[in-house]
Amino acid sequence: MGSQEMKMKRGIPEEEYLMSGHLACAGCGATIAMRYALKALGEDVIVVIPACCWTIIPGAFPHTALKVSLYHAAFETAASTATGVKAGLEMKGNSTTTVLAWAGDGGTFDIGLQALSGAAERNDDFIYICYDNEAYMNTGNQRSSATPFLTWTTTTPVRQAKGEAKKNIMEIMAAHRIPYAATASVAYPEDFFQKMKKAKEIRGLKFIHILASCPTGWRLPSQLSIKAARLAALTRIFPLYEIENGEKYTINLKQEPRPVQEYLKLQGRFSHLTDSEIEVIQENVGRAWERLMKKAGD
Amino acid sequence: MKQKVIFKRLQDIPPISISMGTMLWNKTGTWRYLKPRYVTKTPPCNEACPAGNDIEGFMVLVREGKFREAWELIKEENPFPGICGRLCFHPCESSCNRREYDEALSIHAIERFLADSQLEKRIEKPTPKVKHKEKVAIIGSGPAGLTCAYHLARMGYGTTVFEAHSSPGGILRTGIPEYRLPRSILDHEISDIESWGVEIRTNTSIGRDIPFRDLKTFQAIFIATGAHHSRNLDIAHEEAGGILSGLDLLKQIRMGERPSLGEKMIVIGGGNVAIDVARSALRLGVHTVEVYYRRSREEMPAIPGEVEEALLEGVKIHFLTSPIKVIKEGEKAIGIECVKMTLGEPDESGRRRPFPVEGSNFQVYGETIILAIGEIPDPSFLPQEVRVQDGLVQTDETGLVHAKGIFAGGDVSNPSHTVVEAIGAGKRAALAIHEYLRGRWLKEKFPMIRVGEKGTISLRKYFHPPEGEVNPPVIPFKEINTDYFEHLPRISNPSLSIEERRGTFKEVYAGLDRKMAQEETSRCFNCGICNGCDNCFVYCPDMAIKREKDHYEIDYDYCKGCGICFEECPRSAILLEGEGR
Amino acid sequence: MKTVIEGSHAVSYGVMLSRAEVISAYPITPQTHIVEKLSELCATGELKAKFLMVESEHSAMASCIGASAVGARAFTATSSQGLALMHELLHWASGARLPIVMANVNRTLAPPWNIWCDQTDSLSQRDTGWLQFYCESSQEAIDTVIQAYKISERVSLPSMVVLDAFYLSHTFEPVDIPDRERVDRFLPPYEPKYKLDPKDPKSIGSLTPPDLFTEIKYQMQQAMEEVKSVILQVDDEYLKVFGRRYGLVEAYRCEDAELVLITSGTASSTSREVIDRYRDEGKAIGMLKIRTFRPFPSEEIRRVLKGIPKVAVIDRNISYGMGGIFAEELRSVFCNEEVRPKVFSYIAGLGGRDITQETISDVIEYTLEQDRPEEEIFWPDLRR
Repeated sequence: MGSQEMKMKRGIPEEEYLMSGHLACAGCGATIAMRYALKALGEDVIVVIPACCWTIIPGAFPHTALKVSLYHAAFETAASTATGVKAGLEMKGNSTTTVLAWAGDGGTFDIGLQALSGAAERNDDFIYICYDNEAYMNTGNQRSSATPFLTWTTTTPVRQAKGEAKKNIMEIMAAHRIPYAATASVAYPEDFFQKMKKAKEIRGLKFIHILASCPTGWRLPSQLSIKAARLAALTRIFPLYEIENGEKYTINLKQEPRPVQEYLKLQGRFSHLTDSEIEVIQENVGRAWERLMKKAGD
Repeated sequence: MKQKVIFKRLQDIPPISISMGTMLWNKTGTWRYLKPRYVTKTPPCNEACPAGNDIEGFMVLVREGKFREAWELIKEENPFPGICGRLCFHPCESSCNRREYDEALSIHAIERFLADSQLEKRIEKPTPKVKHKEKVAIIGSGPAGLTCAYHLARMGYGTTVFEAHSSPGGILRTGIPEYRLPRSILDHEISDIESWGVEIRTNTSIGRDIPFRDLKTFQAIFIATGAHHSRNLDIAHEEAGGILSGLDLLKQIRMGERPSLGEKMIVIGGGNVAIDVARSALRLGVHTVEVYYRRSREEMPAIPGEVEEALLEGVKIHFLTSPIKVIKEGEKAIGIECVKMTLGEPDESGRRRPFPVEGSNFQVYGETIILAIGEIPDPSFLPQEVRVQDGLVQTDETGLVHAKGIFAGGDVSNPSHTVVEAIGAGKRAALAIHEYLRGRWLKEKFPMIRVGEKGTISLRKYFHPPEGEVNPPVIPFKEINTDYFEHLPRISNPSLSIEERRGTFKEVYAGLDRKMAQEETSRCFNCGICNGCDNCFVYCPDMAIKREKDHYEIDYDYCKGCGICFEECPRSAILLEGEGR
Repeated sequence: MKTVIEGSHAVSYGVMLSRAEVISAYPITPQTHIVEKLSELCATGELKAKFLMVESEHSAMASCIGASAVGARAFTATSSQGLALMHELLHWASGARLPIVMANVNRTLAPPWNIWCDQTDSLSQRDTGWLQFYCESSQEAIDTVIQAYKISERVSLPSMVVLDAFYLSHTFEPVDIPDRERVDRFLPPYEPKYKLDPKDPKSIGSLTPPDLFTEIKYQMQQAMEEVKSVILQVDDEYLKVFGRRYGLVEAYRCEDAELVLITSGTASSTSREVIDRYRDEGKAIGMLKIRTFRPFPSEEIRRVLKGIPKVAVIDRNISYGMGGIFAEELRSVFCNEEVRPKVFSYIAGLGGRDITQETISDVIEYTLEQDRPEEEIFWPDLRR
């Protein structure tokens, strides 16, 4: 894809597979992510959703906001249930329906990691999307291993903000040598769309890590939801890149970086940060970018 | 199925929690406390254009390749795109929001491109329809007069334009050099005006050939005689031979004469006439041209672009210098004694008043000395009831001079002397005359036809009052979401090199080609007006924005008021207001 | 086809004959032989199924759930820690009304580590909504697997087919492997009423509020209650096709017994020997083997034990703080009856300790001696 700046979005198809009336918070990034994912995959899809915000968003029985098949699963079983669904479909003679495991960061980085690793090692044929709002948001914003360094959450209060760095799920997936892994952001729908199309055509396990801004949990005014997701990419805190077969790295967005402060200052969950802490974060981001660039051979 | 699923009996309930209906019954619009709404705001370019061009509108059409429609859009308000596209000082570009991001849009060049694109094509002549019985007399066929005639003819009035000179155009004909405005362009745009049924009677001076009072056979009169007399310097020996008025020289050159001007010329003044004379002189072979202006460069009234071109071409400009005396040799002026100036407090025009520096006198010599310190109207032919003050005809803000249907506009009443303001004045007067002839007063309609707060009015708003807010606020740069725009270089008119300009009155600027024009319009932010970029549609988490054929609709049943559409609209065409319940 | 195979393999052949389509395998002693044999059968093509080598039992059950949800016949096998790890998902499978069949080889739970037979693992899962069948022999194991698919698919509840570790799983016995064609006629392909179908998209398993939850669970209980008659029906059909039946319970020589021994699993076989000896000596002792633990065959038990003065329950399991689980369930069966037997509860055979003829005789003797149980629980094989 090469270096890309913001372009007008006319290429997104109109057909909707998600209906209005759902229960997501105003401005929910995870919902925008699902909307695009379904547009890219069409109606021949079965979505497997473990415990996460998306358990609630489609609405309670007997109603649903989705136009495609959805199976709710236990918390840590997104990948393992998807494995079973795919195997069952194949035995029933159906090798065209896409199976999509759609889990939050808690259900991927933490409790769901084992199942994901198993599915990756077996190279099971489905798409796994982790929509990352960087904490256990459904239960009220407790930290997960996807919560970034120094973030406030209800279990990493201000006096003891998270001391650990965000777990690098992409490197974990790369180490499994799956055919395709990519990051995405709700602020870059065309980029996400391309990646979904690419993933759909590949056999094996495809992993997409999409940053899903959460106004509620990030203490962000809902109108800034997309802006925050965009700045995350532009500040290189959440770079957009792809890894093929665990080896070939391609960076999709290479603009001149914006200072991390622009992203951090939008959000209440970072409002406690001191200037020196922000500097540390800036340095960390810079170093991570250098590592990524090296891997991409840039 | 939009209904909520209700179970009446146990046997209706399935054994597992399997969906049986949608969530559409859940009108999440009730969650809102802020409500988005599509609005159209006034782009700063539209506010700034004295002629009232819908600049934003024609930018969109050019981007889509609809050049004819774009040209017609301009012609709704302004009959002279080819002229403005060459002569205007483009206040639109000075207010263009893009200039705070990288560089202003080349609106000026695009207007010219559009005019030039239709030069070959304009074939069908409109069928002028005379709808009203009233007739209007217009004195002067300069930009103000002809614009007024054009609009009145289009509104269905019989108009007659009286022009003292042998060919129409006013200052455009006599006072603008060929390298800035080729005659062919002027003739083409004037003939277009005539095709609407406007009668132009040349060689007919009101006052000299026809007394003013004979015009009472017309039901309204528009005075647009311009300002064609040079102001005097009021210094010693000003009447000596060899001192020429800048305007007169320009007129001569325009009429095809090539007077011999010697090797060195001194020009006194800092306006467009001074610069035009200087640059014309170089082309006529004058070796050295020096301009003396009593204030600093920042205060020069000439269009800055013209000043730059003059300097590039080799004109020498001396700032903060004022002549105090003509140096004579016999009866012929051979030079000027000048004194250096320094700037003090601002005068009534807002510019700092210059005053001489003691003992800084010096002398300059030249074969030709040009006076170009300002042009003033000649109101001598006007009757008593037309009030004149400081040499300018006094009007109200609609151009009305006298309740008996006498109006005025252009340089005859406006000291700022720009073509585009004259065009704006002509248009305003046409509307004022129309209102007057229909028994109304234009002043009452002003709030509904304004574009912004700088006095610009829109004919389109007059004939097709908009729904919603009539004069929405002007959108400043800070409301543009620049994340959606890349930095791109400005594309503007290519120009002849200095060598290529020597000795010729060829147009200095070539126009844009089609590709350049379209590429340049892609830089337009479309401030405050929806251009269908789809951002709101794409980013809505509730699918509450629907794409209709030419606009978007918000489904308020489901809109949660998150405000993402408002934030991500690159051009602030969405407002977020409190939900008033 | 008559052959001599170990209990684990009997299960494997049962799964093969049932044409399971998705098999999830995670190894744990002493279940491993089941999945190893299935792996072979898949490799040779005798069993056309997807063999998923998952990375834990939890994932094994999750993938069975996923496969069953789209209408595939699913199977997995586990034991002990593995079954315990799946616990959350056992509730899930039954709540989702998926007819998964799982073989559980009864092995006790650590600590301390112990790979041998006791029933604590499967009985700890008694509240999960699964049918539970306790098999006495390899023949019963293969037959029960085939029957279980039919029963489960009819009532939409999952089945656990339980075998004693080593005593049954690793013991070679003669087994009549049913003929493929006849099994195909007996067990048609799985046609679920509710399944994930991309052509008819639905959301399954959504959040259910209090005002609807009870009705869904009520239906599950209704289904469980229906299971007993379905088991008997399926048993009848099986008898007709294959000449064998098992029932919910088996009463052995209980007519006017003064003491009935209550057993399950392989201990039943040993008990039969002991019963015969006593009967030969003129003592009126009988045995009631409980095959179906869930649903608990309350009526059948009340019928068989009507008028019997004493029952001695041998539990190869314990619910700490209460006692033997079969004994506990049995007691509750009689709590509203006027005439009830005295229930003597014995815990024996934990962690693979052999329940010998001697142990059983001790149990019988002890019970005959007492009028009423002096203690809540007796430990006949405890070292003293």
